[in-house]
Amino acid sequence: MKKRLYLELENCIGCRSCLAACTQCGGHEERNRNYVYDVNPLVNRQTMPLMCLHCVNPACARSCPAQAIQIHETGAVLSALVEKCIGCQNCTIACPYGIPKFDTEQNLMYKCDLCIDRSKDGIPPMCASVCPTNTLQWLTDEEIEAKQKQFNLDNGKWVTSMPYLEGETNVKVNLPGILQGVTKLF
Amino acid sequence: MQANTSITKKPGSSVNDAFASHFAKSMFLTIAGLLILTFIGTRMFTHVDLNLYGYMVGTIVFIGGFFYRFIAWGERPPTKLFIKKGLKLLFRKSTPKTAVNHLAIYDFIRNRGVYRWVQHILIGWGCVLAFLVTFPLVFSWMYFTMEDNGYYTIVLFGMNIMNVKADGIIAWLSYNALNIAAIMVTAGVCMALYRRLKNMQARAEQKFMYDFLPLYLLLFISITGLLLTFQNVVLHGWMQPQMSLIHQFSVIVTLIYLPFGKLAHIPFRPLSVFARNYREHYSEQHMKECKVCGDQFVSVEQSNDVIQVLDVNEIDFNMNDGFNLAELCLPCRRKYRIAKFSGFATHQVKVKEANQNANG
Ligand code: SF4
Ligand code: SF4
Repeated sequence: MKKRLYLELENCIGCRSCLAACTQCGGHEERNRNYVYDVNPLVNRQTMPLMCLHCVNPACARSCPAQAIQIHETGAVLSALVEKCIGCQNCTIACPYGIPKFDTEQNLMYKCDLCIDRSKDGIPPMCASVCPTNTLQWLTDEEIEAKQKQFNLDNGKWVTSMPYLEGETNVKVNLPGILQGVTKLF
Repeated sequence: MQANTSITKKPGSSVNDAFASHFAKSMFLTIAGLLILTFIGTRMFTHVDLNLYGYMVGTIVFIGGFFYRFIAWGERPPTKLFIKKGLKLLFRKSTPKTAVNHLAIYDFIRNRGVYRWVQHILIGWGCVLAFLVTFPLVFSWMYFTMEDNGYYTIVLFGMNIMNVKADGIIAWLSYNALNIAAIMVTAGVCMALYRRLKNMQARAEQKFMYDFLPLYLLLFISITGLLLTFQNVVLHGWMQPQMSLIHQFSVIVTLIYLPFGKLAHIPFRPLSVFARNYREHYSEQHMKECKVCGDQFVSVEQSNDVIQVLDVNEIDFNMNDGFNLAELCLPCRRKYRIAKFSGFATHQVKVKEANQNANG
């Protein structure tokens, strides 16, 4: 059954397990491809992860002159093919979220590929397998729908993708606590 | 997609009207060029080596496939821009250095790992060497004549280039160039296969058809080629015609496959020199400053080009609050996104982003 990465951003406690797990995925060559940000660094400890959202119409791939960024049949937007990437960095400045990383020494872009060797077989990506707070989850569409009901957001503020992001994305994002103005109990 | 709609017909007659398309014209010019070179090279077709006829057909088909791929690729908006501006910037002072770096010694691959670099040098240069020898022979641009005095004459484009002693070192190297190339490629392919079978990093990402097929094709060519020599030297030519056919077949299949698979990066790679020139040239001109933190993060030219390319794809980055994402540097763009999620303006807090690289 097709599953997606689903984020409940405010659960994040800033442990950065997802970054560490990312480095350990096969093909990632011990470098992480995701981010964790302090929301208000001088005031509190709230953090949020930032991942590639695997856009349905990905700006990174559309701007690549070498067709190095391929879109997998599962919808995952893959990292640059090593033999094709010509190192122009178009993708890094095209992505609305600033996700692709660039290695100048290797003249190569690398980005989240949803751990494609895992996720193509239905195994959750590394980040979702290790997240201790369920910030990152690997769910079917039905489960995501159930989440929507569970949080009972009939104020139109359920964030999945549009209109809060730049375009339709394969990764779904949600902020149930913040949008309801409640503190969630884990 | 949108490529065909924008062609504007100029009135009057130009040579271009003789051709059905750009594609047809380039194809015509290439084949005409090959024919002319061959005509001159063979001293008006008096020195054609008919054993190599199969290769000739293979090459023509390859050129067809290559043009098809190249044109489909070059029509994509970002590619088109890079080719156009790359050609304009071709004569920068740094071009030779960049070209050698990217196309001959592959520094960037060494930075990905010495093992991969060695394997790439062996395969890459083995193929180039083989190509440089075979191509002129096939089209009879180069051939050897033997005089009675124990010297060979190397004839290139109908001109006698040099006389070499039949048992001298240059002669030895030229007879064995293909064998040397084959050994290089075999060694490189074996290294690559070993890595693909053993290395977990490589295994995670590979696909059989995409990553292994080209390796097996190269291996097949090299081994049948080496077998030809072996039959010649040790078996006195036993079964050589058959093996020669098998070898020819393997080369032709590879040539036809080349523009469509992983090997397509060979003809397309020079674009990386264009890309480097482009980045160097325009960042000397005018850099774009991040609207939030003021860091110069990309050249204005590239930023505009990307905006234009994305526009063709109906992606634009104007935000409701008056921001345009293209005006933000990458860390600020990420913080801005966090701000959109949390409702707190993270990007306005003057704190550098925390280290985002976990050490695995
Ligand atoms: S979030 Fe950025 S890197 Fe990921 S698919 Fe979209 S444009 Fe590409
Ligand atoms: S840096 Fe590589 S992957 Fe990114 S746009 Fe340029 S060629 Fe494509």
